Amino acid sequence: MPDPANIAVDLKGIRKSYGQFEVLHGVSLSARDGEVISILGSSGSGKSTLLRCINMLEVPDGGTVTIHGETIGIVRNPGQPPRPVSMAQVNRLRARVAMVFQSFNLWSHLTILENVIEAPVHVQKRDRRECVAEAEALLERVGIADKRDHYPTHLSGGQQQRAAIARALAMRPTVMLFDEPTSALDPELVGEVLKVIQDLASEGRTMLIVTHEMAFARDVSSRVVFLHQGVIEESGPPSEIFGNPQSERLRQFLSREYRGLAE
Amino acid sequence: MIDLPFFVDSLTTLARGIPLTLQLTAMSVLLGAVAALGLALMRVSGFAPLDLAARFYIVAFRGTPLLVQIYLIYFGLGQFPELRQSFLWPFLREAYWCAVLALALNTAAYGAEIIRGGLIGVPAGQIEAARAFGMSRFLAFRRIILPQAIRLMLPAYGNEAILMVKATALASTITLMEVTGIAAKLISQTYRPIEVFACAGVIYLAINFIVARAFLALQRATAWDRKPPALRNVESTRHA
Amino acid sequence: MSHMRRNAEGGALDYFRLMGFGPDGWGRDMLAATGMTVAVSVVGFAIGIVLGCLGAAAKLSRFRALRAAAECYTTVFRGVPDLLVIYLFYFGSSSVITAVAAMFGASGFVGAPTFLTGALAIGVVSGAYQAEVFVGAVQGLARGEVEAARACGMPPLLLFRRIVLPQAIRFAIPGLGNVWQLVLKESALISVIGLIELMRQAQIGAGSTRQPFSFFITAAALYLLVTFVSGIGFRALEERSMRGIRRASG
Repeated sequence: MPDPANIAVDLKGIRKSYGQFEVLHGVSLSARDGEVISILGSSGSGKSTLLRCINMLEVPDGGTVTIHGETIGIVRNPGQPPRPVSMAQVNRLRARVAMVFQSFNLWSHLTILENVIEAPVHVQKRDRRECVAEAEALLERVGIADKRDHYPTHLSGGQQQRAAIARALAMRPTVMLFDEPTSALDPELVGEVLKVIQDLASEGRTMLIVTHEMAFARDVSSRVVFLHQGVIEESGPPSEIFGNPQSERLRQFLSREYRGLAE
Repeated sequence: MIDLPFFVDSLTTLARGIPLTLQLTAMSVLLGAVAALGLALMRVSGFAPLDLAARFYIVAFRGTPLLVQIYLIYFGLGQFPELRQSFLWPFLREAYWCAVLALALNTAAYGAEIIRGGLIGVPAGQIEAARAFGMSRFLAFRRIILPQAIRLMLPAYGNEAILMVKATALASTITLMEVTGIAAKLISQTYRPIEVFACAGVIYLAINFIVARAFLALQRATAWDRKPPALRNVESTRHA
Repeated sequence: MSHMRRNAEGGALDYFRLMGFGPDGWGRDMLAATGMTVAVSVVGFAIGIVLGCLGAAAKLSRFRALRAAAECYTTVFRGVPDLLVIYLFYFGSSSVITAVAAMFGASGFVGAPTFLTGALAIGVVSGAYQAEVFVGAVQGLARGEVEAARACGMPPLLLFRRIVLPQAIRFAIPGLGNVWQLVLKESALISVIGLIELMRQAQIGAGSTRQPFSFFITAAALYLLVTFVSGIGFRALEERSMRGIRRASG
């Protein structure tokens, strides 16, 4: 069982710029074991960038990233882009922090089953038979067990995303990151994916979800964070954020994105 | 007007050159592909000096005739006493190895661009997913990028292989008796260029056809967007 | 060690004297030969344009026989080594000429004119490639534009001249640039039948001075130069022809 006293992910003072444009102006966020945190904000607010700083897909120009108490070393030389000190450390941590992407990013030359076992077998070096058994159980769980021998291009968007979630779960991650998991889906396929994510949330996993689905964020999160232009405007339990938004920008955002919730 | 015995005679004579033609093609394409992979990696390495060196090589070998390259290696290298005394000389003295070397260096330049096209054609999101799941750059390259790149580059590499079959004809200019070499000799002996051309042409067209088919088969084998077997059955019962 | 350095320095000086324009220099000959290379390439390419247009027209025609013939033409001359085609044209025309000359009492082998047969061989091969380029260019045309013109009642010939041709030419330029580069490199093969273009001249120089590397590397450099200049020329042509057209990737 995750221990709520432990901090799974700790971001302190994260800054990130692209050229002259600073996307994140010193964002601090910590997620305790078992928390489900939804990150909201309009486009350009930096929410995806923040999420990607956690598994070093983006390397922050300032601040620290600490996962389960281990801080990721970053080399920052003037005039050069920042990079991790040790890719071995990053790869080790990446094997415990699984990500689900907006455009699924399943590997198209592998079947669904092969997609799910690929990283457990080749990165975590686990026994192949054990991985296959676990993969089949996961595919069963997300509802696409019959697609195990199909290639990703044969699946609908919703099915692909569920496969991607199974692929992430196969790593037995301690932290799961969701980068706008339903934004690329046709509206009628969104529900099946949200249901799977909701299921996972109720199991006590540490999850950070960047999303536009307001009702979903309200129902599934233990905490909601509102990011605006690279700064955390407001943060709190869903009842507060959706029921009693304090900042003007948050109120504008909510009335734009979800009328009727701000009441 | 068609002299059948002559045609059959010519074909059998010319056919003796087929093994050499195939050998030269296979060796140069395979060796060239290895070099091409190296060049392509240099091009996508992101490291400017390597990229520049590779580009220089590619421009040099694609911008000059293969014949010049062959003559440079076969005739030209002998100009340097240092080379004549080196351990390479027993190879470089042989027309066969000079031809293989020239052909391989030449196809490497074209292959490099084909491979590079394949490498950058792999969807970036899938590469990112590989890194996000903890794969090292090497592992991601081996398990995710390379398999997909190979599939992407098969059509273009098939074309290149056929071009190389034709390129081996130039080996006849440095005494090698592959099909074209034998054809030249046959023409000068029989003074029947049209018939000999027809026979030699048939042989080359046949070889090219086989090579093209082989690559098509490879493409089919790696077509992972083919219809899944389950769906096919459903469709056929619906038509019934 | 020092004698090697002296040799290298001497070597560089020797090279420049070799390729220079002085009394011992081969520079003038090499440049003249380069001119011959360009000349035979231009003539061959021009023949190729004519054959390519005919071939493309045949490939796009309504008559199956014409389409089949064109398909034969492009398949055969793109699938067979250029060297063989050169042998065919040279020895073919030579035997005809020798036979005719024998009728007039001449004996022995009479060679056909090397420039003409070489250019013809290049023309026939490049025509096969150019036919494919033109077919691709015409097929790449937006259907809508052709239909709109036909709906206006434009007669087919006028339609071709005013609508299809200008667009097709525009699309064909990159492919033609590639074929031109092929033609330039193919011209080197004509050296085997004795035409004094760049390759042959380099061979002559190499044989005369026993410095094959120097001559062939110079030839390579000259080919590169012509290729480079041609590349710039074709790119400029592309830019000009694409003026006012927004490309999908643009």
